[in-house]
Amino acid sequence: MLRVRFHGRGGQGIKTASQVLGTAAFLSGFQAQDFPLYGAERRGAPIVAFTRIDKEPILERGPVAFPDLILVGDETLLEDSQAAPACGADALTTLLVNSTKAPNSLKDKLNLLTMPVTCGLTKLCLKHLNAGMILSTALAAAAARLTGLIPLNHLLEAVEIELAEFSPEQLQKNLDLVREVFELLNPVVFQEREEAGLFPSKLMALEQQEVRDAAPLITATGNMNLRKTGNWRIHRPEIDYEECNHCMICYARCPEGVIKEDAEGKPEIDYDHCKGCMICAQECPKHAIKTLWEMDYEHQSQ
Amino acid sequence: MNINRSNKRMLTGNKAAAWGARLAGVEYVPAFPITPQTEIVETLSQWFAGGTLKGKFTNMDSEHSMFMAAGSAAATGVRVFTASSSQGILYGMESLYTVTGWRVPFVMVNVSRGLATPITLEADHNDVMSTRDCGLIQLHAETCQEILDFVLMGYKIAEHPLVSVPVLVNMDGFVLSFSREPVVIPDEKSARDFLPAFQPAQPVFQASLPMARASAVFGGGTYTYFRIQQDLAVRQAETVFNETAVEFADRFGRHYEPLERFHLDDAEVVFVMSNSFATKGKSAVLRLRKQGVKAGLLKIRMFRPFPDEAVANALKGRAKVAVIDQNLAPGMGGITYPEIVAAMYGRDDCPQKILSVIGGLGGKDIKENDFLSIVEKLNDPESKGPVFLYDEGDWKQFQQMQKIAQL
Repeated sequence: MLRVRFHGRGGQGIKTASQVLGTAAFLSGFQAQDFPLYGAERRGAPIVAFTRIDKEPILERGPVAFPDLILVGDETLLEDSQAAPACGADALTTLLVNSTKAPNSLKDKLNLLTMPVTCGLTKLCLKHLNAGMILSTALAAAAARLTGLIPLNHLLEAVEIELAEFSPEQLQKNLDLVREVFELLNPVVFQEREEAGLFPSKLMALEQQEVRDAAPLITATGNMNLRKTGNWRIHRPEIDYEECNHCMICYARCPEGVIKEDAEGKPEIDYDHCKGCMICAQECPKHAIKTLWEMDYEHQSQ
Repeated sequence: MNINRSNKRMLTGNKAAAWGARLAGVEYVPAFPITPQTEIVETLSQWFAGGTLKGKFTNMDSEHSMFMAAGSAAATGVRVFTASSSQGILYGMESLYTVTGWRVPFVMVNVSRGLATPITLEADHNDVMSTRDCGLIQLHAETCQEILDFVLMGYKIAEHPLVSVPVLVNMDGFVLSFSREPVVIPDEKSARDFLPAFQPAQPVFQASLPMARASAVFGGGTYTYFRIQQDLAVRQAETVFNETAVEFADRFGRHYEPLERFHLDDAEVVFVMSNSFATKGKSAVLRLRKQGVKAGLLKIRMFRPFPDEAVANALKGRAKVAVIDQNLAPGMGGITYPEIVAAMYGRDDCPQKILSVIGGLGGKDIKENDFLSIVEKLNDPESKGPVFLYDEGDWKQFQQMQKIAQL
């Protein structure tokens, strides 16, 4: 069985990527299963989706813990400990990153056992779709090509099926994009994983706890701070302190309460928790809050 | 109100429930009326309005908010009572699951009434059985006295630090809720000595102590932990019930066990029943014995936690058992039948035959003759359950109705 895991952000088409790959595998004569994992998240939050491909009926469900192929649509997730896209990667895993960086620099940085594949999908998406953040078909094409199991015609048919509600023009743009990505990459040889023997779980009989520990009760305050939502950002607000007149309207309008007043009375953004909704930038009467692409910012700061 | 010399007075089941709440000194009653429960909340509202009860009575906009209000108030550390029935229970179902998970104690009364469709107002147990898996403790009453006593005992059990789960006391609509019979009303001081003011075993909502309940948890592991704790707490309620029953008997002279055994010791044929129709079952047992049938009856007072060991001990070695369910799970049969069979599973002294019988749906009477029919079915090696207590007279009556209803 080939187990594929896609990482990206809500709104980037990660779920659709897994579904295009699933349909393409199915059309190519394989058993296929695809599954996205999301719940309370919103646009920008880290998302995962999975596709399983096999000749035999697939007797697995749920997330893939040990993927053969990982595709990371958004490289800002690479060092995110919550998204942890390299989690479960071993010597048999191939990792593709949507990046223009050199593969060996990523290999060292992420402590990978195998050399990752990098491919600048964002540029190709911009070229064909005029949108750099919609990665569904590009990621699906990359995955399909790397598996070496799916011929181009089945992949194109899968795109037509999954994007059936698109206008003919939009569909054609996606088909062109898929063709280019498919031709850009080469198949990887995947080794079948050896099945480990089963060993019994160490089941335990829980003892009854006092009700304060037995009910889902939270009495410690301020622990929302532990949930870092800064990695949900696609856009990054940046205050131009030359322009800012400290009116603090951004502070008042921030729905997340992540702008505070610093010692000098200036607004200060807590980037660990700012989700990048950009309401502050909209509200700023002096237009002193700039909107940056988080991805560009990461590049600049390195 | 004056209490007469014998401390007994004629009370309906509904009034007995209200008296239980009154003697428990309830401080908050969120209410929504529904037939046949209305008399309970009507009585309590009068007592609050007249100053007999100190606290707050609130008419809610639905059972959904009513149960939520009951749980929320209990989470602030006050003693809460509420009551509902039938469609109201179903409408509040989401809240029932929610507040039992909060692990806050209160007592609610359900006045059993069959569920739509077709619509009925009369008793059967599909409503209370729908709350079977909510995480409530369930005590089912046969008499008006049991109702009052179970409400008082219910607070003691619900508020026990190892339980901290709401208790539901069930009575049959109409035949018990509207029936008056003599009920001993304990004096207020004895009731207070038995049931002192509510001392929450956990932190309660206060302005100075912010807290979150009903937290969202993901991944299943944390969820499973809390669900196991809920299971342990509800199971613990059987022990707590037995301890409470001893204390209650010492003080008031009436002793209750999770099960009541009626002429069981030498019984060869046993009827398993609950609620008010168990009275009819007892009468049938006495009449069958006169006809030479060694009959007995096992009444189940506590459905949650399910006292499976006690049930198995009561039924072991009996030749024939009929489980009479006043409820129906279409496509399966009686709801409590599998629980009783499961309690006997794997025991070598298991009865030769355990038959599922369904009767008393939507207020339909269970006649004493029906019990002899059940004995015949038990003696017939070919008979299989579920056996419906539906006879030729019922069929003739239906045909009359059908003539009116159909062109």
